[in-house]
Amino acid sequence: MKTRRIILPVLILMVLIMAISPLLGACGGTKAKAGEVLKIGMMTPSTGPVPEKGVPGQHGIQDALLYVNNELGGAAGHTIQVDWRDSAYDMAKVGTIVQDFINSGDILFTTHSSSEMKAAQGVANQNGFPGLATFISTMNLHPALHIYGPTPDYGDDWAALAKYYMANIWKGTGKPKMALHLLSGSVGQGTQDGAKAMADQLGIELVDIENHAISTTSEIESLTRIKTKNPDVLIISGTPAPTAVILKNAKQLGMIPGMTVMCASASFTKALIDLAGADVVEGVYGVFHTVSWDDNVAGMAKATEYVKKYHPADYGNMDYLSTWNTVLLIREILTNAVKAVGYEALSKGGAEAWKAVEEQGIQKLKGYKFEGLQGGTATYTPGDNRLDKFLRIYQVKGGKIVALTDWQEAPLIKYPQYGDK
Amino acid sequence: MDLPAGTRNYSYSEDVTIFRTGTQKFLLAVLILVLLTAPIWFGGYWLTVANLIGITIISVTGLNILTGYCGQLSIGHAGFMSVGAYTSAILTSRFGVPFLAALLCAGFLAGAVGMIFGIPSLRVKGFYLAISTIAAQFIIIWVAKHWTLTGGAAGMEVMPASILGFEIKTPTEKYYLVLAITIIAIFVAKNIVRTRVGRAFVAIRDNDLAAEVMGINLFRYKLTAFFIGCFYAGIAGSLLAHISFSTSADYFPFLDSVLFVGMIIIGGLGTTLGPILGALAIRLLDVLVTKLSPTLQSAFPNLPPGFTSGIAPLLFGLAIILFLLFEPRGLAHRWTIFKSAYRLWPFSY
Repeated sequence: MKTRRIILPVLILMVLIMAISPLLGACGGTKAKAGEVLKIGMMTPSTGPVPEKGVPGQHGIQDALLYVNNELGGAAGHTIQVDWRDSAYDMAKVGTIVQDFINSGDILFTTHSSSEMKAAQGVANQNGFPGLATFISTMNLHPALHIYGPTPDYGDDWAALAKYYMANIWKGTGKPKMALHLLSGSVGQGTQDGAKAMADQLGIELVDIENHAISTTSEIESLTRIKTKNPDVLIISGTPAPTAVILKNAKQLGMIPGMTVMCASASFTKALIDLAGADVVEGVYGVFHTVSWDDNVAGMAKATEYVKKYHPADYGNMDYLSTWNTVLLIREILTNAVKAVGYEALSKGGAEAWKAVEEQGIQKLKGYKFEGLQGGTATYTPGDNRLDKFLRIYQVKGGKIVALTDWQEAPLIKYPQYGDK
Repeated sequence: MDLPAGTRNYSYSEDVTIFRTGTQKFLLAVLILVLLTAPIWFGGYWLTVANLIGITIISVTGLNILTGYCGQLSIGHAGFMSVGAYTSAILTSRFGVPFLAALLCAGFLAGAVGMIFGIPSLRVKGFYLAISTIAAQFIIIWVAKHWTLTGGAAGMEVMPASILGFEIKTPTEKYYLVLAITIIAIFVAKNIVRTRVGRAFVAIRDNDLAAEVMGINLFRYKLTAFFIGCFYAGIAGSLLAHISFSTSADYFPFLDSVLFVGMIIIGGLGTTLGPILGALAIRLLDVLVTKLSPTLQSAFPNLPPGFTSGIAPLLFGLAIILFLLFEPRGLAHRWTIFKSAYRLWPFSY
């Protein structure tokens, strides 16, 4: 009898959950009155294997929206309303989330990671639903369809790091030997694409390419293989947690200090320093698309004010700044679109609104400056869906990420394997 | 099959009929009507969720044949799904094979790969077999990530499914495709377990030594179970690839393999209804958490970041533990008890 008493409430709870799910879905969150809002969908991997990126990214979105809607008057006077979802970095779930955005009348969507976008872009491209990935990879942008990058891609990261290395660090003769340690998936693949496309041209010999899992706990074995190849430089492309493991293991093996270590943008943020420890990452180079938190640029005061007020733990985090900038860019896109086609055409959502956002919003971007928070300006070039094409090299010095160079433009690299001609 | 009081079988055909009484036939008709008209009631989002549930049901039904009926624990089912997904993607995109042929090939290849990893099942069982199937998951995913044919870590773009020149692109079209294949898969599974093969599976599950003494070839039947279970996984993987328009190793994480086992525990091992109820419960719970988390996050801003959306795995784990403790025969058994109680009402024992 006791068992029955417990089982019954559990079953009732399960049945209730199943029963109310469709009803909740039908409610669709808070409905704004017609004429008030422009709805967009945004997802972050706030749980799952990469919360160290997803959570600050989510906070950047929340705070930037407050700023845009409260202080800048939204987009052309219309409040930007976000349907936010946690993807949990679950690719099957990403497919349902994108469909949810489409069904909810959202006129644009974003993902935080390139992997999320990889899972979303099939449905998005089929429907002509425009999307932006805050961190983007080569296979998201090539061939150029309906997916855009507010930043350069991971292939560009590799090219920028390699060029800096050749111009400022390599003092030897002949070709320097480079090893890559890549996160399995779109992040590492993007960096590898860039390396394979440009290594010969830059005079670099790729001596080893190793892969790591997102949840790796030890890379001693792969680093030992790399060590036997005696590379001059190691480029790591992954998220902060596995990159921290690799750096700690490299230190254990005596590879650092000594060998030049460089990180692509997905990992090069405050979370890396927090996870690996300042002593381990000291001297490590990195590449990133936003300014650093110490830069004195127009938009930094507001970003700093909001992060310190609402999410002080994210101060210094580049993922926060990246999604903050994405929201600023979306405001500019929507402002362009509203001015061109009017609010009514956008408010209904659907294919016509998506087309208007893409053609009159995204493709009309010209010289948008991100309030100075990114190096370049957002400008659309036909055939190149990277909206900002500028990167800067940084280095960890004294436990802080410090800029080393001015902004470098990343030229478009063609990737025939993805259909580029 | 337990029948309502007063219902008797007077012929073999009556004995093998799945839907035996007028009430059962009426309920089946209502269910089919509801399923066929679902696109009228559901929006695109819920159809997409329904598609994911349907695909999960197919995969978990296969796992149920392998684990629930034959007793061979597999924790690599997501890996076998990936074999089907890549097979179908490669055949349709690179070799122009029609979708339906590619779908069947996906099932057969996944079944063949399943048989290879099922070979140790003759020598090992239980925990040790589980470990060997975990190895299958990791080996398959590693190969998928490193083989140029599968697109490496980047995965592959997948063409929409196409039947007789008709491209299946919208959520409604995808829904009908998944629904049709799910119904066929459940029907076939229901019948497999009623055949000589199905009874051999149950004999092996209940006592493999006794089964062998009775003349059942353990090796043959265990491999057959692996083939059938993984065939279903391959079909599910192929459908997932064609409705997502892309595939990569990221679609088939190890966690899904664990979750599939959880689904058959919650639904009910060794029943046809179990995988359906288990997949429904877990997928809808996930949807509920995803939908509610933004609201909860706003209502309780002091909760740790990601807490509200991150409770899904906790709830899955809790549900599995509760079912193992209090209802190890799953929701399907609860449903049977409910039906019995309903038939006797108001004169229960």
